[in-house]
Amino acid sequence: MIVTKNWLNEFVNLEGISNETLYETFNSIGLEVDSIERYTIPKKVVVGKILSCEKHPDADKLNVCQIDVGDKTLQIVCGAANVVDAKFVAVATVGAVLPDNFIIKDAKLRGVESAGMVCASSELGLPDTGKGIMILDESIGTLEVGCELGSYDTITDTVIELELTANRGDCLSIHGVARDLSVALEREMKPFVYESTHKEKLGVARVADIQANGIIEADLSYVLTHIESLHTPLLLTLRLAMVNIALGDKLENILSYATHTTGVILRAYSATSLKDDDERIRLQVNAQERGIITISSQEKEISLLGVNQNQEKQAKDKDSLLLLEASYIHPDILVNAVFDGSYNKDELYYKTSRGSEPNIAFGLEFSTLLLEKYAKGKCYEGYLTVENEWEELRLGIDTDEISAIIGKEISKSTIITILTALGFGVTNAGGSKIVVIIPRFRHDITHIQDITEEIVRIVGINNIESKPLAFIESNKLNQTTSQYQFKKSLRQSACATGFYENVSYIFCERSKLEKYGFSTVNEKLDLTNPIAEDLNTLRSTIVLNLLDAIKRNVSYTQKSIALFEIGAVFNSFRVQTEKFAMVFSGQNELESISNSGKPNKIDFASFTKRVSMVIGEFELVACREVNDFIHPYQSADIIFNGKRCGYISKLHPTIQEQYNIPDTFFTEIDFDALLPKHINATPISKFQGVYKDLSLVIDESTPYSAISDAISSLDIELLSSYYPVDIYQDTQLGTQKSLTIRLFIQSISKTLEENDIESVTSLVLDKLNKTSGATLR
Amino acid sequence: MKILKKIQEASSLEELEGIRIKLFGKKGALAGEFAKLKDIPGPEKKAFAEGLNKKKAMLQNAVDEKYEFLKSQEIEAMLKKEAIDVSLYSSLGKKGALHPVMETMDKIIDYFVAMNFAVKDGPMVEDDFHNFEALNLPKSHPARDMQDTFYFNDGGLLRTHTSPVQIRTMLKTKPPIRIISPGSVFRRDYDLTHTPMFHQVEGLVVDESGTVSFANLKSILTDFLHYMFGDVEVRFRPSFFPFTEPSAEVDISCIFCAGDGCRVCSHTGWLEVLGCGIVDPNVFKAVGYDDVSGYAFGLGVERFAMLMHKVPDLRSLFEGDIRLLEQFR
Ligand SMILES: [Zn+2]
Repeated sequence: MIVTKNWLNEFVNLEGISNETLYETFNSIGLEVDSIERYTIPKKVVVGKILSCEKHPDADKLNVCQIDVGDKTLQIVCGAANVVDAKFVAVATVGAVLPDNFIIKDAKLRGVESAGMVCASSELGLPDTGKGIMILDESIGTLEVGCELGSYDTITDTVIELELTANRGDCLSIHGVARDLSVALEREMKPFVYESTHKEKLGVARVADIQANGIIEADLSYVLTHIESLHTPLLLTLRLAMVNIALGDKLENILSYATHTTGVILRAYSATSLKDDDERIRLQVNAQERGIITISSQEKEISLLGVNQNQEKQAKDKDSLLLLEASYIHPDILVNAVFDGSYNKDELYYKTSRGSEPNIAFGLEFSTLLLEKYAKGKCYEGYLTVENEWEELRLGIDTDEISAIIGKEISKSTIITILTALGFGVTNAGGSKIVVIIPRFRHDITHIQDITEEIVRIVGINNIESKPLAFIESNKLNQTTSQYQFKKSLRQSACATGFYENVSYIFCERSKLEKYGFSTVNEKLDLTNPIAEDLNTLRSTIVLNLLDAIKRNVSYTQKSIALFEIGAVFNSFRVQTEKFAMVFSGQNELESISNSGKPNKIDFASFTKRVSMVIGEFELVACREVNDFIHPYQSADIIFNGKRCGYISKLHPTIQEQYNIPDTFFTEIDFDALLPKHINATPISKFQGVYKDLSLVIDESTPYSAISDAISSLDIELLSSYYPVDIYQDTQLGTQKSLTIRLFIQSISKTLEENDIESVTSLVLDKLNKTSGATLR
Repeated sequence: MKILKKIQEASSLEELEGIRIKLFGKKGALAGEFAKLKDIPGPEKKAFAEGLNKKKAMLQNAVDEKYEFLKSQEIEAMLKKEAIDVSLYSSLGKKGALHPVMETMDKIIDYFVAMNFAVKDGPMVEDDFHNFEALNLPKSHPARDMQDTFYFNDGGLLRTHTSPVQIRTMLKTKPPIRIISPGSVFRRDYDLTHTPMFHQVEGLVVDESGTVSFANLKSILTDFLHYMFGDVEVRFRPSFFPFTEPSAEVDISCIFCAGDGCRVCSHTGWLEVLGCGIVDPNVFKAVGYDDVSGYAFGLGVERFAMLMHKVPDLRSLFEGDIRLLEQFR
C-alpha cells in the first residue's frame, strides 16, 4: 500500500508531523514502512502563464511561446505537442539545475532565442504523468505566476510505501490508513461532507430498478449520472502516479482515485448499453451457489460481484450516462466462494479479498463528487440498493485478561479510549468487563487476542517491560536433544579428520537417480510442482549431491576435496531416513616437504581409516549394495555394532570419467545406526598376553572376511583379538596367496602356559583348514 | 697443578674418562699416593691423609664439573644435528569445518537448551492439517499466498515451516510445553534471496492460562538476541502471523553500520531477524487445549548465519564450495 502525506492530510491533520515521526508511528502500529521519500523540485522552476504560442518558423514540431513568469516575460521554444492546450506550465528558468545535473542556460533553437524550458513531470524528477509537458491546474493549489513550484506541498509530497500484513484490508485505502494514524497520533479525523450542488431533478426509480433473487450476502448500491467534458486534473494523475497506479483513460483514473482514497470497490457501466427497449434499466442481483453473486441486465451477466466485470458493459470516456456501482462483500464469503473456481479475477479482486471498505455510501458519494467537479456530473436523485442485514459482532471482554496476555497492567479506561478511537463500539459492563462491538471494516477481529493486538499496537510494544517467565524445574533432556548433541559431536569429529560439512537440497533429478541405479520415490507420491527440472524429486542418496559439489570444487582447482553431510533421504515409499555420507576426492594430502611434493592419491585404506576415525571401529564385508557408483572390486558393506548399516566404495571409473574428477571414495551410512549404544564394561585381565602370528596359504579368491568369520565362529575364550597383518603373493604360490594373521591370546584368570597357546592356534588352524583349505606356510 | 689444567682442557668425554682412570683407577696416580700412606710415620700420617683426601675431593669435583660440561655440550651437538626448519611445516594437516548454517543452528540450539527447552523434530513431508489447517491457515486464508508450497501427487506437502512439529507435540503431550524445533523447511522460491530449502528454529512455550505473557516473550528474545549478536538494540514491531496474536517482528540495530543506515539494512538502521507472538486461540482449539496461554517464535537460520558471518550470497551456502567453507575452520 502506497500513501502520500498530502493525500492523508485530507482526512487527518498532519501539520507539524515530521517524516521521522510518521516513519516511527507507522512502524510502531504495525504498518511497516518499506520506504519513505519526499519529492523535491529544483529552485528556479516556477509557475508560468503562456501568453502566446506560435509555430517555429523553421521547425514544424517546435513552438515559440511567450511565457509570463511574474517579473518578466520569457520567450521559450518548446517541443511538446500538448503545449498548445496549456495555459499554466512549469518553467525552468535560466540557472535552474534539473535532475542529472541538467543546467538550464540561454539557448538558440534553430535560430530562435529560448530563455528556459517548459518541463514534463519526469524532467523535474516527478513520476511520469503522461505524454508531453506537465500542464498545471488549480487542483494543486492556487496558481500564482512566478511562484516557485517547490512551494506547492501537493507537488513536493512525501510518498510512503507500507508493507501491510494480510489481516489489514482496512488499510488498503488512504482513508483507512488515516484512520489508524489518527488514533496513534491522537488527532481527530476530518469529516467527509458531501453536499450535491448539481442534481438531476428526476428520481432514479423513474428510469431504473433493481431486483434481488435469493439471499444476497453483500451490499450493493448504484447511482446513475450524466457526465460531459470529462477531464482529470493534475493532482489526481500526479497522486496516482506517485502511488504507482497505472494511468488509464480519464474515467478509469477518476475511479481508481476514488477507490484508492475510500477503499470502496467502485465500478462504472455504460448505462446506455444496459437499457431495455423501453429505455428502462433493469438490474438483477442473483445469489448463486457457494455465496457467489452475479449482477445481470438484459439477461446478460454484467458483473461477478467482487471478482470481475463484463468488459463490454464497462463505461468508457465517451459515455455520457454512467451507472456507478459500489459494492461490499465479506472477504471470507468471497474467498471461500471463488476458491478452487477458475474465475477471471480483475485487479479489484485483491482489495475485495483482503476486505474492502464496507461503507459503500462513502465511496459512491466521493466518486460522485469527483464527477461533479471534473465531468459536470449530474446525478439522478436516490440510489438503487441491495443491502444484506449484517449481524453485529459483539465480544464480551475481561480487560484483566488483556493485561495478563500482554504482561503489563493496562487500565480499563485506556483500553476503552483506544478501542473507541479505533472505531470500535464499547460499553462498560461493570468490574473489569466490557462489551466490544466490532466495526465492519475490521472483519479480521474475532476474539480477545485480536483485541489485545489492537491495544499492543497503540500502547507500543516498546512500552511493555520485559519480564522473565518463571517456570517449574523440570528436565527437558529428551531423546531428540541427546541425538542432537551426538550429531554435533559426530560432525565435529568429521571436521577434526579434515572433512568439510556440506549442506545440500533434499531435491534431486529423477532421471539422474534412475540412470545411476538409485531408488526413486514412487511417481504417485512424487512432487507435483517441482521448482526446476533438476530438482524434480526427493533424493534417495546424498552421494549424488556430494559428487556435484566435488565437481564444482574441482573446477575451482581444489586438489583434495573432503566433504560430509548428514541429511534426509527418501525411499520409494517416501519414508524419510537420515544418512551420514562422506566423500574424499583427489590427493590424500596437499603437496608438502614431507611428501617431497608428491602426495599420494586417496586410496581405500586411508579413506576407510579416516571414516573409522570419525565413526569408530567397523567391519567390512562383501558389498551387497547395488548402484552404478560402486566399484565392483573396491567396495564393502559396513558392519557397525554388529549391524549392516551402510557401504563404502571407490567411485566407479566410468562415473569418475563422466564427472571428470580425480579418484574418489565415498561412504553412506544410516545415521541412526551410529547412535551410541549402551556399554557394560568387561573385566580387564591382569595377566600378560601373547601375540602369535599365523602365516597361512589360502586360495587367492578367499576374502579375509571368510577367515575372520571362521575364527569368530569358534568363540575361543582365550583369543581376545586377531587381525590381518600381511598379505603376500608370488608366482610360486600360483593361484594361492599367503595371509598372515596376528592372534592375541590372553586369559582373564591365569598366566598362559605353552599348551594354552598351542591349543588356541591348533583350534584356529583346524577350523581354517576345514573351511578354506588353509595350510601353514 | 698440571693435572687440574689437564682436566679443564679435556676436549671430549673420552679424553676426560682417560684422565679419570689415570687418576682414580686401581693403578691410578691417587692410588699410588694412598699406597705411600702406610710408609708415613704416625704423627704426620694424619696430616698427609687429610691433604690427600682434600686433593682427591678437589680432583673429583673438577672431573665431575668437566663431565657435566662436556655432556651438555654433547647433547647440544646432538640436538643441533636434529635441527629442522619448523616454519616449513606450518599448516600441514588441515581441519575441516562445520557448515556456517549448521554451526549457527548449533549455537541457537545451545542457547535454548540452556534455557531448559527440549529439542523436538518431525517429518519433512507433512499434510495440510499439520502444516496449515491447525495453524489457523484454512485453505482460503489470504496468508497462504505468503507461502509457496511444494505439493506431492497424493496431496502431501513439504513443510513450509517447522510449526507442524509444534502441532504434533501438542497433540501428543499435555502442557507445560517448552520446546524448540529446528530443521529444514521448503518454499517454492528461487532467486538471489530465496532458496527452495532453508532452515528454521521455532520455539513454543505453553502453560496454564494467564501465566505466559507477551512481556515474557520480549524478555527471552531480547536476551537471546544479545547472546547471538552482542550489544545490539532490539526493537519489536507489531505484525501479523495467522498462528499468533498479538504478533510482532523483531529487529536488531544494524550490526554493519551501528544503526546509521547502510545497504544491508536498506538504510533503515534495523535488521529484521525474528517473528513471534502469543499463540492464537484457534491453534489451541485445533489441538484440543483449553485454558492455556503460550508464546511462539521463529527464525531463519540462514539469515542469522549470513548476518553473523557476513556471508554475501545465500545460494553459495548450498554449493559445497570449499573456498567458502574453509573460512570457517
Ligand atoms: Zn546498516
